[in-house]
Amino acid sequence: MRTGIVTGVIVAVIAAILLAGQGDLTGPAPFVILGLTNGAIFGLVALGLVLVYKGTRVFNFAQGEFGTWAAFFAFMVMRDDGVGGVGLPYWAAVIVALFGALLLGLAFERIVARPLLNAPRVTVLVATIATALLFIGLQIVFFEIEPENLRGVFTSDNAGILSTKRIFNLNIDPQRQVAIVVLLAFGVLLAYFFSRTDLGLAVLATSQDAFATRVVGIGVERMSRFIWGGAALLGGIAALIYVPLAGLLIPGVMTSNILIPAFTGAVVGGMNSLPGAFLGGITIGVVQSVSLWAVGHYHIGERAIVEVIPASEQISILLVLLVILLARPAGLLGQEA
Amino acid sequence: MSASSEAATLTQPVVEDAAADEIWRPDARGWAARIAVLALIFGGLAYLLASVSQTWANLIAQAAIYAIIGLSLNVVLGYTGQVSLGHHGFVGLSAFVSAGLVSEQGQTFWVGMAAAVLVGAATAGLLGLVALRIKGLYLALITLTFGYVAANSIFEIPALTRGGQGMPAPRPEGFTTNRAYAVLCIGMLALAIFVDWRIVRSKVGRGILAVKQSEAVAASYAVNVTFYKAFAFILSGAFAGLAGSLFAHRVGVVVANNFRFENALLWVLMVVVGGLGRRTGVVIASAFFALFSSLISEITPLRDFIIETLNREPDYFTLVIGSLLALEVIIFAPGGLGGRLSPLTTWLGGARFSMHPDGGGGHHEKEKSGPGRRERLMSRLGLERSATAPAEAEDPEPEAEPAGSVDSDGSDSSEGSDASDEEEKTE
Repeated sequence: MRTGIVTGVIVAVIAAILLAGQGDLTGPAPFVILGLTNGAIFGLVALGLVLVYKGTRVFNFAQGEFGTWAAFFAFMVMRDDGVGGVGLPYWAAVIVALFGALLLGLAFERIVARPLLNAPRVTVLVATIATALLFIGLQIVFFEIEPENLRGVFTSDNAGILSTKRIFNLNIDPQRQVAIVVLLAFGVLLAYFFSRTDLGLAVLATSQDAFATRVVGIGVERMSRFIWGGAALLGGIAALIYVPLAGLLIPGVMTSNILIPAFTGAVVGGMNSLPGAFLGGITIGVVQSVSLWAVGHYHIGERAIVEVIPASEQISILLVLLVILLARPAGLLGQEA
Repeated sequence: MSASSEAATLTQPVVEDAAADEIWRPDARGWAARIAVLALIFGGLAYLLASVSQTWANLIAQAAIYAIIGLSLNVVLGYTGQVSLGHHGFVGLSAFVSAGLVSEQGQTFWVGMAAAVLVGAATAGLLGLVALRIKGLYLALITLTFGYVAANSIFEIPALTRGGQGMPAPRPEGFTTNRAYAVLCIGMLALAIFVDWRIVRSKVGRGILAVKQSEAVAASYAVNVTFYKAFAFILSGAFAGLAGSLFAHRVGVVVANNFRFENALLWVLMVVVGGLGRRTGVVIASAFFALFSSLISEITPLRDFIIETLNREPDYFTLVIGSLLALEVIIFAPGGLGGRLSPLTTWLGGARFSMHPDGGGGHHEKEKSGPGRRERLMSRLGLERSATAPAEAEDPEPEAEPAGSVDSDGSDSSEGSDASDEEEKTE
């Protein structure tokens, strides 16, 4: 019920802006499109965060770095310039990268998460921070620091109709369209998984009371493996979509660019609600880019470039987070405080 | 914590504790030995400071500043059990305030430093007010976004911080050389340690520790939960402000890039490596984190390997080694460096020498102790355990007991082992 109302309101607001601003390139419409697609990426990472939170009650600060690793893996196996790399085709590289991310997630689970299964949540949180920093450090040591470019799903010659079709009178980067479709798919998939399948219910039960879950014969370790593996996979997918868009493959890119908005999105939607992560991510993306349009300094088109407030998109995140946490700590769609 | 464990606390107050913990004091020879060891340690440090080059003196100043930051985070992380990921915001804000007052308003360094401390305390207090409503992990997010906004937005406003060219921060008269400035920083560190020590030992300190154990139990013993939580944040902010001011005038020019998100994360890790709530460990670990990359650069083969073979800056290895150390501490030895040093620090504090003065601080030792000894250790040490070691599902008492004994004022039981070590020193 509430899910429906909240979704309806958000969709209505976004649609109203888009329809009102159709064709007006200086208006908010292009920024809303930008925000929607950025929001889709925040939403994908937020889905991973919520998956971990639902399963283990922990905020996973390593979520972004599982993704950056996947992007580096994909880059390394795709490149073929004599320096290194294998020169695999794109989709093979995607599979290798996601497999690598999955292995990392499982290794993290075995080495860090499992020994801390019964530790206080704050301890596990600090452990994920340490893991994120370790990953960033290792990336710096293993890969070059110069920004690299990762190929996206579509290149200019195989994008076809996606690159020429105009939506709301605007050209939208095909990769951004991919982001929205993937987010929708995973949102539906995970919502189904947690509400309709035995495995999903078992994961939820583990997070509520590990001891009682064990008593009724559910392997807590297996659930833990599933959660961290799944989270790493989601992080990897998000990075493979985001990094080509940003055109920037550097160590720690997912942590520094995506993690904080994604966390905010997850909290805004409700830390334990998958539809919430989805909506929260989109909301944060739109709020960010509309605030950029309103007071930031990235104006395009005929409007002059004015520098009103630096990084207004970041201030808007803090404001949204504060309002939500003070007014409705459970988030828009969350069930518990 | 379950309701039943709280009920158990209320019905079984720790009465035998005072008797079991009867304070043992060394004789004159014992004290002499302890003083000799202390003199050796501090004498060695003083000799080091006097003999190193000016470059290294500058690094030592930085180590002292990091140690103050570590103490600041330790108040939040170690004493209240909350996570702050926005300390780069506090430190940076006070650094800019201090630098701005000195170079734009023409105030003296000392005015700038006082203002920085006030600003740090006020900012942290404001965030602390939010913390009163928001608990646990969500607070980590609030501080995280605060730091993010401060670093990316506030510090980038040219009118306030002069943007990329930075805000000049001249050193005070008499402390212009690196060595003199290092002495100043170490002096301020000593002041911070002293304040921290006295506050933890006071009623306020016991209140903060009680609130960490269990807000419900503390409140039912008429401990003002709101006040103590806010106070811990303000204290932490004041330390961060002090560190920020020293930081600004050490580098001479403050730029926004000095205070990045990664710094805040690394600072959290250095407190974890030092041991939550363990002052000595935190100071040493923070200094180590500050000096690490310079230390490995001193080892020529290692430096050649990193710079020439790998073609990387030694700085980055602080990230790798620091986070590995933190993971090691979290998984294997929750007492951290402070826990490992506790045989020494406890002895220096005037107790009998023991390899496990507080039960080891890790989960490995606790099986070895007999039931009676274990009970006693639990009540003395419950704080450290619940902070860092896995909570025991079958045995809720260790969490509840110390909180319950807060009001029995004569006993040490409400404090962490480090705190009670210090206590024995003075009584």
